[in-house]
Amino acid sequence: MLGINTAQRELLSALAAARWQMFMHSLRSVRGKLEMFSRVLVGFLFTILAIGGAIGQGVTAGYFVSRGHTEWLAFLLWPVLLFWQGFPVMASAFSESPESSYLLRFPLSYRSYFLVRIFYALLDPANFVGGFWLLGITLGVGIAAPRLLIWTAIVLLTFGLFNMLLTQMIFVWIEKWLVQRRTREILGVLFFLVMMSFQFIGPFMSHYGRSSKTALTATFARTSAWQQLFPPGAAAHAIAQMGNAKWFAAFGFYVFLAAYAALVFSLLSVRYYAQFRGENLSETEGPKKTGDTTKPAPLGWNIPGLPGTIAAIFEKEIRFLIRSGPLLFSLAVPLIMAVFFRVQITSRGGGSFFSRSPIWAFPAGAAYALLLLTNLSYNAFGGDTNGGMQFFFAAPVRLRQVLIAKNLAHTFVFVIDVTLVWIAVWLLYQRPLLYVTLLTLAAALLVLPLDFTLGNVFSIYSPKKSNPGKFGQQRAAQLTVLASFGLRAVLLGFVGLVVWLCRLYGNLWLAGLIFLVLSVASFAVYASLLGYSERLAFNRREVMIAELGRK
Amino acid sequence: MDQPAIATESLSRQFGTFTAVQDVNLYVQPGQFFGFLGPNGAGKSTTIKMMTGLLAPSSGRIRILGLDLNENPIEVKGQIGVVPEDMALFGRLTGSEYLNFVGRMYGLDRETASKRASELLDFMQLAEAPKKLVMDYSHGMQKKVALAAAVIHGPKILFLDEPFEGVDAVASGTLKTMLQRMIANGATIFLTSHVLEIVERLCSHVAIIHKGHLVAQGSLEELRAGVQAEAAPAGASSDLVSGQKLTLEEIFLRIVGGPQTQKEELSWLG
Repeated sequence: MLGINTAQRELLSALAAARWQMFMHSLRSVRGKLEMFSRVLVGFLFTILAIGGAIGQGVTAGYFVSRGHTEWLAFLLWPVLLFWQGFPVMASAFSESPESSYLLRFPLSYRSYFLVRIFYALLDPANFVGGFWLLGITLGVGIAAPRLLIWTAIVLLTFGLFNMLLTQMIFVWIEKWLVQRRTREILGVLFFLVMMSFQFIGPFMSHYGRSSKTALTATFARTSAWQQLFPPGAAAHAIAQMGNAKWFAAFGFYVFLAAYAALVFSLLSVRYYAQFRGENLSETEGPKKTGDTTKPAPLGWNIPGLPGTIAAIFEKEIRFLIRSGPLLFSLAVPLIMAVFFRVQITSRGGGSFFSRSPIWAFPAGAAYALLLLTNLSYNAFGGDTNGGMQFFFAAPVRLRQVLIAKNLAHTFVFVIDVTLVWIAVWLLYQRPLLYVTLLTLAAALLVLPLDFTLGNVFSIYSPKKSNPGKFGQQRAAQLTVLASFGLRAVLLGFVGLVVWLCRLYGNLWLAGLIFLVLSVASFAVYASLLGYSERLAFNRREVMIAELGRK
Repeated sequence: MDQPAIATESLSRQFGTFTAVQDVNLYVQPGQFFGFLGPNGAGKSTTIKMMTGLLAPSSGRIRILGLDLNENPIEVKGQIGVVPEDMALFGRLTGSEYLNFVGRMYGLDRETASKRASELLDFMQLAEAPKKLVMDYSHGMQKKVALAAAVIHGPKILFLDEPFEGVDAVASGTLKTMLQRMIANGATIFLTSHVLEIVERLCSHVAIIHKGHLVAQGSLEELRAGVQAEAAPAGASSDLVSGQKLTLEEIFLRIVGGPQTQKEELSWLG
């Protein structure tokens, strides 16, 4: 099996058995059963997305092939690639990559280590959905041109493998870059430049967004040539050339695609091998030169209006966040989504909904920023591992103070994110109108306290150890994620309904007033349930300490 | 007699049907260096967790400095320092940031917390890597910073769960010096350790827990005398009757049972 000897096979099978036993043991508790139920439910939703997408992709692929435009498959493979790479970051609440450093203690060969890591990577929903979509395209091509079925399957299998490896490669390299201050600063500058470049996207899309279908078709045809330099184009051309009976050209494109996969494999392997050798990424500096005088410890932050303990926890939360590159990275996702919707061209040749109604781009971006807080606010203690949770129970502080400080830190993150979204919307679409901005902020005042209230309860009821320094290890429990989405659906649905009704009556300011009045009740609910959360935490302290202290 | 620094009354804890600690009555006087011993799984960590508010007792009472822990948790926690088994660290802070944070959590103002953090880092020889994150510290360094955090607010009682585990001889010397200085200044220290030589050297009083029951409690001399008195009528082994001073390890083994016999040894081990 893949060149692995019997001893290594035994080891891998023991690892698989251990994980299976751990999974079965997790079902012993009610919480474990609920978690399993949530996973099944989420799995069902992903299956719908996967099958629905596969049917759509398959029909379109069949149409392209039957019309003699097989190379246009590239325009199906690009979205697959973007989804595959973007989804794990954009929906980090659903992506998970188990900790694998514990593997290093075993006499595992690098090959086995690599296989285990890849197996873990395969569990990501993006692989499942992306794989289904490729299957749909394969079947679509196969139905339109049966002689291409096997070749398409080979090409798209390679393309899928490339995607799966690319996701992991990007994660492990970004992890490495984000962990060091200098590279983090370079990425920060790049991020700033990208933000600045947003302003060029608007005019660009205004030009192409108004193009007719015929013009778009011509654009597709023009770009088809240079697309063959990239994996989606190479894969499409490999299939198209086989359709034209140009075996050498088809094989050439396939080799080109495989070379991409091999390159990504090599780059991924460099990082995996470093981890296999026991690399520990950190900002650790070497010992200071002797003779240096010891500097006094810096003063903690002084935040006017906040008691010392709350300010201390707030400072600790923000320091944690700043040192958790992947978590920071995920907070930039609303901006990526803003760009994504800006460049999206619909089948009718027009822009996305937000290109046609840009006044809603800022509220939608703010709502998405709220969704991305899930892993932070619904698993607020997830990063307090290594006995950190014990500290909160051993220290002479009320747990409500801890919760308030954490919620303030999450509000701070939300405000930063929403500000960035506001700037992005300004650069990409138009400056958000004053009343829309105020309306959005009023809605946030209503939604945030209720969201934090439920987040606090779930952080206590269903804590999950997380590692904010690693991609895929920040996820809250699946049950928590579902509950958070449920509450947001209700809250944001209510906000949408109020806005719609007020718009019908031609007075959106009224909606703002309603939100402000209700936000008082929302704050009251938050404040009154802090005591409940504190009691719940006190009663569940053993579970919390055990869960977050798990090795 | 002074009010005990630590007193437990019929302290018990069950996990489902398993009783981890049963009817433990402990008395630790102020200023005592108290060692709490027991084999693995005897109930040491469970007891210390209950005494520091990390675990709820199933029954019984805990009084710390005369205050009921259940009724006055915040007041009690403000007067004690704890180094739990997991050390209670926040890995993504530097040593000075962590100590600053802990100081402020225990009610110190910013200036005092910062000043004490600097002094503690110097004392613990941790000041040489000011930007190093706690998660990147060695195990011994983490133990030292955990102990520094436990004392930054000047606690009257210090609870230490295996403070010397994984600590090198140099660091161990630093910790012992600091603990003895605290005792000299009137603090009470309650520690668990498997290193009986250290307990024997540091502690004036000892309690032994075995299978959840407190089986011995008193000064080292009292325990020694008790073991010798129990052994004498039963025929007495040569070292007991000869009047040779028993070590704490010997006392411990006689109370909780000795090592496995040769028959039980693993024959396949080289």
